[in-house]
Amino acid sequence: MESIARRRAVAYVCRSCSRQGLRLQRQARRAYSGTATRDDIYDVVCVGGGPAGLSLLTALRANPTTSHLRVALVEAQDLSKIRSWKLPPNQFSNRCSSLTPSSVLFLDQIGAWSHLEQDRVQPYHEMQVWDGVSGARIEFDWGPNPNPSTGTTIAYMNENLNLTSGLLKRLEELGGVSVFDSARVEHIGFGEQTDELDLREWPTVHLAGGKQLLARLLVGADGANSPVRSFAGIEAKGWDYGRHGVVATLELEGEGWGGDQMKVAYQRFLPTGPVAMLPLPGNHATLVWSTTPENAALLKSLPAEDFISLVNSAFRLSPTDLDFLHTQSSGQAEEYKWRLEHTPFDRQSVPQTVVGVQTGTVASFPLKLRHADTYIGERVALVGDAAHTIHPLAGQGLNQGQGDVQSLVKTIDYAVSHGQDLGTRMSLEPYLSERYTANHVLLGVCDKLHKLYSVGSGPLVPLRSLGLNLVNSLTPLKSFFMNQAAGNGVKI
Amino acid sequence: MLRHARQSVGIRPITTGSPLSRPILAARRDHRPLPASPGRRTIPTRHHSSSSSSSVNPSEVSHFTALASTWWDPHGPSRILHLMNPLRHDFITRCLASSSSSSSSSSRTPPPLRYLDVGCGGGIFAESAARLPTTSSVIAIDPTPSILAVARSHARRDPSLSSKLEYLDATIETLPASDEKYQNFDVVSCFEVVEHVDNPAAFLERCGQRVRPGGWLVLSTIARTWTSWLTTNFVAEDLLGIVPKGTHDWDKYINEDELRAFFGKREGWGVPVVVGVVYVPGLGWKEVKGSEKVGNYFFGVQRVG
Ligand SMILES: Cc1cc2nc3c(=O)[nH]c(=O)nc-3n(C[C@H](O)[C@H](O)[C@H](O)COP(=O)(O)OP(=O)(O)OC[C@H]3O[C@@H](n4cnc5c(N)ncnc54)[C@H](O)[C@@H]3O)c2cc1C
Repeated sequence: MESIARRRAVAYVCRSCSRQGLRLQRQARRAYSGTATRDDIYDVVCVGGGPAGLSLLTALRANPTTSHLRVALVEAQDLSKIRSWKLPPNQFSNRCSSLTPSSVLFLDQIGAWSHLEQDRVQPYHEMQVWDGVSGARIEFDWGPNPNPSTGTTIAYMNENLNLTSGLLKRLEELGGVSVFDSARVEHIGFGEQTDELDLREWPTVHLAGGKQLLARLLVGADGANSPVRSFAGIEAKGWDYGRHGVVATLELEGEGWGGDQMKVAYQRFLPTGPVAMLPLPGNHATLVWSTTPENAALLKSLPAEDFISLVNSAFRLSPTDLDFLHTQSSGQAEEYKWRLEHTPFDRQSVPQTVVGVQTGTVASFPLKLRHADTYIGERVALVGDAAHTIHPLAGQGLNQGQGDVQSLVKTIDYAVSHGQDLGTRMSLEPYLSERYTANHVLLGVCDKLHKLYSVGSGPLVPLRSLGLNLVNSLTPLKSFFMNQAAGNGVKI
Repeated sequence: MLRHARQSVGIRPITTGSPLSRPILAARRDHRPLPASPGRRTIPTRHHSSSSSSSVNPSEVSHFTALASTWWDPHGPSRILHLMNPLRHDFITRCLASSSSSSSSSSRTPPPLRYLDVGCGGGIFAESAARLPTTSSVIAIDPTPSILAVARSHARRDPSLSSKLEYLDATIETLPASDEKYQNFDVVSCFEVVEHVDNPAAFLERCGQRVRPGGWLVLSTIARTWTSWLTTNFVAEDLLGIVPKGTHDWDKYINEDELRAFFGKREGWGVPVVVGVVYVPGLGWKEVKGSEKVGNYFFGVQRVG
């Protein structure tokens, strides 16, 4: 068993280190074998202080069964900057996520939710989803039978930084975490054998500057390119969509058709990918537009006026008109005005008109689907994007990570209260079996949706519009989807 | 009093492949009784002349020696025991909660517990007991040197154990009775042991002497029934081979009513707590009411006097 563990685990060396060449690396390795003291031994070492890593540590500290564990956090960024993050009320970060009621419930249970700036969080109550080619439409709202636990709220739009900043405040309140921030993981290896201890199976995280941390359990919450995953020799399989996600913070003509109390999320499927506009407080909204890398490059290059027109077109004009606008390197504002007059549509069934874009918020990132072959190894567990990267069309990426954390903490709690070694693969098995299939189904559903709606013509188009219209008329099916979006549906 | 690795019900496809010493195997198979009548009897008090006052059966020692190397492999022959271990803690928690109110009042946090684990084997239970924050110390004893070596070497892999866990090459008979260190335990455990000792009555008597008044003697074993003969001896060992051959000696199995009667006749013991458990493939160990009559069960009894 030992030999298997060792064979699978390949030492992780950061890219900049490996670039320095073999000679240096060998010297470095000798330097790594310095002596660790008892102070360097932790029950849980979490690499990555994003939404997943910070929730994990907060939940472990807030839980009376696990609060006595020695825990450490390693994060490359300067966390004090995130902790003190502040923006004026009329500005919003472009990285927002839709938090499901079950994620919010979990964040509340671990005492973090109240540390978020509540007036920057926007609940929404309705979703409008339609097919850009056929026009078929589905409306999601709770209608006369709201979900008893969450009222009429489908989900909450929130800036990722509001979440991480709130989690850091809660962690500070709880105390007891050894934080190593602005710290790069240089190498991950194994511990050593001495007369009294045999730590040859314990992962050891080496930081630049010589610090080393020995982990009973090493958690990779270190994002899509997870160094912990590479160390554990776990492969992540998947593909790139050949699409980029364009994000921006938008200013609308008003607070939305339903006013401040009845906010709506909009998503239109275009042949290039879905475009979504999600409500933020007041007359603000956040854009997530998945499109071709060329279109994304164009969007980022346009002056504000043309960018705004192209966004408005995306929710109103025909795909053919939209294609044409993308061939122009400028002048979209004029073209949009002219074409809009000749396009009939119901004003109230699309988002209010965009009138401004916050400077510096137009950005894009490549979309990919990745799923790790497993989430656990001997003394290793992966959570969040380190375990899976999902197409953003369902807005589930961050929520999946919260679900992982909730499950992992439950697994650790059981191990601790039954005297098991919480790092062993056997102790971690319940986490894997609880999360893997659930995440796999969600990844699959979002992937299929993307492919189904990326087709501009042909037999699939009438079929899928039939599908949307059918779902819309079938209440039970609709509430199934709503419960999925709200994260409290049938556990799949 | 060896224990462990006696995967009782275990209808589960595990690779065993642990080498067994052939002569013992042969001897055991010759002696294996047919399930004549699993009726009630009293707990045997027969003595094994060769092992003086020890309850340890030498052939058991060699059998478990052969198992030592695979003890901590979670996918090896002891997997089923690893899976059962959390239930032992649930059972002890239940016993402690049902304690007749003696010294510790329930309002404050109870004082940390001292454990004696008899027939500790590779240390699956002993390590886990030592890891609990509610434990102050665990003394774990076993007469099979090779298995104790495995236990000691495995414990070195967890820095939290060295201050709380001590292994001793001893039997309940050789553990010094005069030393206060080996007396008055809050919990004396012997999991999957009584079915492997030659003189269970004397063995239990001696274990009981180490329990402090108010403390608990807890054990687990398998009932002697048609079902258990079929599942543990015939199916698990012979047919499926998922449990190493020679692990079980059906004739030594003790039924829960026999244990009840044994402690009922003695002064100073409370009303036993008994829970039957069943291994369900794909689900793991589950508590099943009434199953103590047919298969694996936990038995706990508080020393009240
Ligand atoms: C550019 C971008 C835009 C996105 N936009 C959206 C969106 O609009 N809506 C949405 O729902 N989702 C979006 N996502 C996805 C969402 O951000 C992720 O699902 C979520 O952040 C995952 O959280 P995490 O904690 O698992 O990982 P991350 O947030 O990626 O956190 C990983 C952390 O690990 C640290 N780290 C990595 N390597 C090391 C190392 N070697 N040493 C020390 N620290 C290390 C990083 O600094 C980082 O803080 C976006 C993702 C990206 C990359």
